[in-house]
Amino acid sequence: MNESTPLVRVRGLVKEHGDGESWVRAVDDVDLEVPQGQTVAVMGPSGCGKSTLLHLLGGLERPTSGEIWVAGRRTDGLSERALARLRRRSIGFVFQAFHLVDELTAAENVELPALLAGRSPRAARRRADVLLEQVELADRARHLPSELSGGQRQRVAIARALANEPQVVLADEPTGNLDSAATLDVLRIFADLRATGQTLVVVTHDERVAATADRLISMRDGMFVDDTQLAGTGTGRLGGLVGLEG
Amino acid sequence: MGRVVLVVRLVLADVRRHKTHAAMLVLAVTAATATLALGLSLYNASQSLYVQTRAATAGPDLVLLAPDTGPASTAALKTLANDPDVVDHNGPYDIVYGTLTARGYSSSVVVHGASPTPGAVDRPLVTAGTWVRRGGAVIERGFATALGVKVGDRVVVSGHTYPVVGIAVTAATSIYPWSAGIGPLGGPSDYTGLLWLTAPEARALAGRDLTITTALDLKLRDPDATEAFRLAHRGLSVRLNLHSWQFIAVQDGHIVQNTQPMLVVGGWLLGFLAVTGVAALAAGRATEQTRRAGLLKAVGATPGLIGVVLLTEYLVLSLLAEAAGLVVARLVEPAIANPTDSRIGHVVGPAGLTLAATTALALAAALLTTLPPTVRALRTATVAALTSTAQYSRHRPWLTSLSSLLPTPLLLGLRLTARRPGRAVLHSCSTAVTLTGLTALLTFYAQPVRGYGIASSLPNGRDVVDRRLLLAVTVLLVVLALVNTIAMTWMTAMEARTSLAITRALGATPGQVSAGLSFAQLLPAVPGAVAGVYVGVVLFAFTSRGPMSMPPRWWLVAAVLATLLATAALTALPARLAARRSVAHTLSAEAA
Amino acid sequence: MQDAVLAMLAKEPSHGYELRARLRRSLGPFGEPMNPGQIYVTLARLEKAGLVVCERSDAEKPDRKVYAVTPAGQERVAAWLTEVGWPKPDLVEFHLKLVAAAASRLADPVELVAAQRRELLRTLREAQQSALSEPPGSPATALLEGVVLRLQADLRWLDACERGYSRRRDESEDA
Repeated sequence: MNESTPLVRVRGLVKEHGDGESWVRAVDDVDLEVPQGQTVAVMGPSGCGKSTLLHLLGGLERPTSGEIWVAGRRTDGLSERALARLRRRSIGFVFQAFHLVDELTAAENVELPALLAGRSPRAARRRADVLLEQVELADRARHLPSELSGGQRQRVAIARALANEPQVVLADEPTGNLDSAATLDVLRIFADLRATGQTLVVVTHDERVAATADRLISMRDGMFVDDTQLAGTGTGRLGGLVGLEG
Repeated sequence: MGRVVLVVRLVLADVRRHKTHAAMLVLAVTAATATLALGLSLYNASQSLYVQTRAATAGPDLVLLAPDTGPASTAALKTLANDPDVVDHNGPYDIVYGTLTARGYSSSVVVHGASPTPGAVDRPLVTAGTWVRRGGAVIERGFATALGVKVGDRVVVSGHTYPVVGIAVTAATSIYPWSAGIGPLGGPSDYTGLLWLTAPEARALAGRDLTITTALDLKLRDPDATEAFRLAHRGLSVRLNLHSWQFIAVQDGHIVQNTQPMLVVGGWLLGFLAVTGVAALAAGRATEQTRRAGLLKAVGATPGLIGVVLLTEYLVLSLLAEAAGLVVARLVEPAIANPTDSRIGHVVGPAGLTLAATTALALAAALLTTLPPTVRALRTATVAALTSTAQYSRHRPWLTSLSSLLPTPLLLGLRLTARRPGRAVLHSCSTAVTLTGLTALLTFYAQPVRGYGIASSLPNGRDVVDRRLLLAVTVLLVVLALVNTIAMTWMTAMEARTSLAITRALGATPGQVSAGLSFAQLLPAVPGAVAGVYVGVVLFAFTSRGPMSMPPRWWLVAAVLATLLATAALTALPARLAARRSVAHTLSAEAA
Repeated sequence: MQDAVLAMLAKEPSHGYELRARLRRSLGPFGEPMNPGQIYVTLARLEKAGLVVCERSDAEKPDRKVYAVTPAGQERVAAWLTEVGWPKPDLVEFHLKLVAAAASRLADPVELVAAQRRELLRTLREAQQSALSEPPGSPATALLEGVVLRLQADLRWLDACERGYSRRRDESEDA
């Protein structure tokens, strides 16, 4: 896979739920290409299908029709086993509800994907410590999730998502359950990830999170209605916002 | 009045919502109480059957057996017949010892010489065909069932062929195969069956070098004074054997001698299984119960009322199951209390002791399973109860480190087991009970079979009955244990579904997850199985009379392995189903 | 702006350039485009109003002047600090823009909203990046946070506008 091949590619993706009266098209014929190193934000009102899109990308749900390519591999037809292996190697997940295991400490939570991938416990623990350092929670490594604030829990979850050095990180409303200060912490981490060239697809309805992305996709009723580049466009008009003339 | 209606409504709604729990409880308690009730009332049942047969056949109060037909014996018998305490008598009549062959079987037989018109004492009840006549034989019913002989068949008694003209029941002898009161010449007797011929024909049979004794049936003025009569007539010139009706009744009980402990112990084991299974279910619903209690408290219910609501459901179900169990016991009782078919009569209701024991079992089952969660629910403060979430957050660092060293399925299995240590213990106990039953069964089968002697080719009736019964109890145990295992696996899978969904999102395959769930059930099963074997052997030694021979070791090992394999197989199905659920679905539902 | 400068002088008399530096620090990136001479114009106005007095003046070199607050100025500062007025949000102009576009059919209001939204998002991005790159403890962080949150509120309002206008458009299309 060379530099120009997109890391994530989607063609004609469709996902339908229900039958008869409750039939709904959560994702309606979507095409998408995400090059390596790009941060993409997907915004839209609730029920527009953005979370479903993310689940489809990560293999947590199966599409009704269409093609999905991740890291050069076609994933829509894979068996559950193969999808699990794919998630181990190539995809990291961050959820709105954090979804940490309650009876494991932060460090044990973060090392879990590495253990599942078959790495030795020592290597997994070392990696976990490094990642917790990265998210500035090294001093909380031995704490249980119940002893951490929401923001800290989400940071642990992000560290966990990075455990196996995934090629793409998928985040579903990562700041949905966080207050303003915790959101800033998460934004800072995402900014650092961007700087290291991590490919990131974030689903959100928080404009601040969307603003960190290079590219913003707006979704409604299962379809993309807008796709703009945000990066590299300075307005130089900050002063005007606060009534200070330049 | 309104409160009662409320309680009834709440209980009904809860039962409707948790039909499987209710069904499991009812099934388990019914099986346990039926077995226990059977076991406890067996002896009484056999006694009652004897008494009814005695009434129906005008059974004698005493049977005197003389060692031969000499004049001295006859004279002694006649003297006793004229005793002032004796109201009526039958005989003296001949008893001839011979061998019988019929339908390919052979057996020792005692032939009673009988009158075609029985007197006031000892009138055997004919249940098929007619009474003796010239050239026709009547077989005692127990004997006939063992041989498979019907009216119209032919039997050969010591060389003579007779057609079977009738089948009858009597109270003058013990049940088959102890129809011979004494052996030839007053010695010990083999296992024999009973046959009636007319007196002349019996005498003619005896003429061919077959031993005979003489018997006399007595009816006393005071039917219960048999012991007094015996004491009064000790030290006679002729050695006579006096069998009282009480003695025969006690002999009847011997056929169920082994059966009783089997059923009683089996009943308690089943009760134990019921408790473990339902306790696991109740513990799984503990959070929900706590929340319900909190809700009721918040709307103003007193702790007493809440306690009633939480306990009533299980208590009522348990008691209903007990009633069902008693009905089942009553229906099955005749077959087990009268396995030889030698007696007639209908079954009587359960005695006080039986009722007390089964009620104790039912209440124990209900209370042991619901009391801990109920007490906890009542103790929790209202606010905490309303927001109560399941708590499995005991952090065990040593276990986490240990499981990290294992491959993924074992890692998951170990961590799943650790979440609910209580349930693991219950599952262990459940497996232990299953293996106790299986071990008892195998040990029983390993005992040497005592035949009925050289002359008899019929199977040992008691052993046959015992084996069948033990097999039935063991099957019940195994079935209940299976139900328990499936229920516990399902519950574990349900409770852990978010955790497992996260693990799958992080890269565990469905195969690893379902293997993990299976391991979670297997890990506690192993120590339980081993313990169960030891307990089974000990229990058997404790309850068996006489020397016990151990079954071959590989039988027991095979039983353990078979149980573990069955556990693994049983847990595989719910585990697979649970592992196939959509991850996204589970996680979104959880977050919602 | 005048009141803020006056308040900064209330602590102790300062040179003009000291005041300017302090202002720049407090405003962070927003202080960049500030005209260097602006501060002296403001100070001159304050002096004229009698709220500030110049100590040790040197007419040739204005930046050698030290300015101090007068008692009248102190009173004004005290009054200003306890005022609870809040600056007016300026939504009216854009709202009228949309109404006019819809009525005159010269432009599609939905498109206008989308364009404005893109613009605001880019601005938000800049403000946020600045906030993240400010050193910790910098006074400008609070200001940036305020800007970001206001932009967020404005974006939400734009979402509402867009929903309203696109519903109107769908209805008219169906008609």
